[in-house]
Amino acid sequence: MSALVRAELLKMRTVALPGWLLLTTLAFVLLSVLLTILTAGMPNAPLQRDDPQMLARAVASASAGNTLVLVLGILTLTQEFRFGTATPSFLVSPRRSHVLSAKLVAVSLAGLVFALLSVVFALAVSAVTIAARGDTLTFDRTVVEVLLGVGLCLLLYGPIGVGVGALIRNQIAAVVAALVWTFVVEQLLVGLLPEVGRWTPGGAASAVLQLGDLATTRGTLLPVWAGALLLVAYALVLSGVGARLTLQRDLT
Amino acid sequence: MSTTLVFDHLTKRFGETTAVEDLSATVRPGRVTGFLGPNGAGKTTSLRMLLGLVRPTSGTASFDGRPYAELTDPVRQVGTLLEATGFHPGRRARDHLAVLAVAARLPRRRPEEVLELVGLTDAARRKVGDFSLGMRQRLGLAAALLGDPPVLVLDEPANGLDPQGIRWLRTFLRGLAAEGRTVLVSSHVLPEVEQTADDVLVLARGRLVRTGTLAELGAGAATGTTVRSPDAARLVELLTRAGLPGSWTSADEVRVDAPPERVGELAAQHGVVLHRLTPTAGGLEDVFFQLTGEART
Repeated sequence: MSALVRAELLKMRTVALPGWLLLTTLAFVLLSVLLTILTAGMPNAPLQRDDPQMLARAVASASAGNTLVLVLGILTLTQEFRFGTATPSFLVSPRRSHVLSAKLVAVSLAGLVFALLSVVFALAVSAVTIAARGDTLTFDRTVVEVLLGVGLCLLLYGPIGVGVGALIRNQIAAVVAALVWTFVVEQLLVGLLPEVGRWTPGGAASAVLQLGDLATTRGTLLPVWAGALLLVAYALVLSGVGARLTLQRDLT
Repeated sequence: MSTTLVFDHLTKRFGETTAVEDLSATVRPGRVTGFLGPNGAGKTTSLRMLLGLVRPTSGTASFDGRPYAELTDPVRQVGTLLEATGFHPGRRARDHLAVLAVAARLPRRRPEEVLELVGLTDAARRKVGDFSLGMRQRLGLAAALLGDPPVLVLDEPANGLDPQGIRWLRTFLRGLAAEGRTVLVSSHVLPEVEQTADDVLVLARGRLVRTGTLAELGAGAATGTTVRSPDAARLVELLTRAGLPGSWTSADEVRVDAPPERVGELAAQHGVVLHRLTPTAGGLEDVFFQLTGEART
């Protein structure tokens, strides 16, 4: 089993894409952190310059890689079918469930690596920018909770992606669907129709990241614990369904 | 180090279509077995069922009595080469093998060793996307050899190889069989396996139409002979008297529907000088086309 996890990690390290996804993630984190801090205090901005939660709000941007880890999870599965590497994978381990489990563990670990780098990067950029502007810099419990939330999100978005990849077998369709869902559908739902939106994965992630009125001003998100549970449930159900579909498939 | 492969009443239906019907056969160790049939005859589906990639509608396939899915260490027990598309184009050749070696808990130096066996050492660091079809086939073969297995299942391994590559493959497969391994090689081109295979399984439209040794298959062929002689007219006369009418193909050359041995003996008995005595090519191919119901082109 551990051999299969190591093989899955080696698969990711020996192609270029995961590296690009990581770089893109860090670029998103940078953009998102700067946007949060630099717009503070502007008219209609949800955040004031003297907000004691400034740092917590800013480092929540470390979760900007959610979507990219989701894409990584999708590609982990769809590429195997697109390039036909599923055949050698399942020949090495005819017990397909072991391959699937190894994939889920490997994308979760990759998500944690993304999380760790994102968190360090977001903390550094936030602290420097806030200090440079002379705004309130408070490192409190909320900051720690938000950072743990980032870790949880990036840990779970990979397995969710594996599930999406199994459900939508066409690689391009799966990636486009995931991007449209996270960047458009969820943003609109969480922002404008939070009573529905808070039940989406994105809504649950916003709750875990304690985004509050940064995410929506029209209603409330779930409590942190409920958001965390909901995300775990999404990951289990989607990857479970995906695994089942993949396991039964004839490889012709 | 010897494993017998058994197909036992294997059937696969995809909806209304029957891809493979009631396939039963035994593949023995120490021999190269050619799995022949035109494209679409069901060879690949049969091999994929053998390897647990496609679920049979009914029947079983096994290695010394155990289905592939139940092998404890499949990479060390069965080497496989399926179609040449099982590669990520952006991955280096060596990394492709390293992934498999790590998953199968093989020694770290194994990828380099098998790359050398198939003559790809110099291309180890190149991306598979830049490989020619022939190089991919060699890489696929390297992957099949990773676990040094007693059984090799190769689907159309000669595809994309140049004549030199095919000759290399032939020697290579003969060597593997000589070591006591079980080698099952599919092909839709008879000449590819004609000089390699000991045994043949001929598949047509999903059904097994012939099993046996290659020699037995050839024995069914109506062998013809082309004979050249400075005294061809006398030879034709002799042949006609022996009930073997020939047809002229040129001023001194005759084609006869009889094996070369018969024609040679007849000429020797009557002291006719022969300049050339050739079995007509295609005898075996004719049998193959007849069996598989394909028109010759």
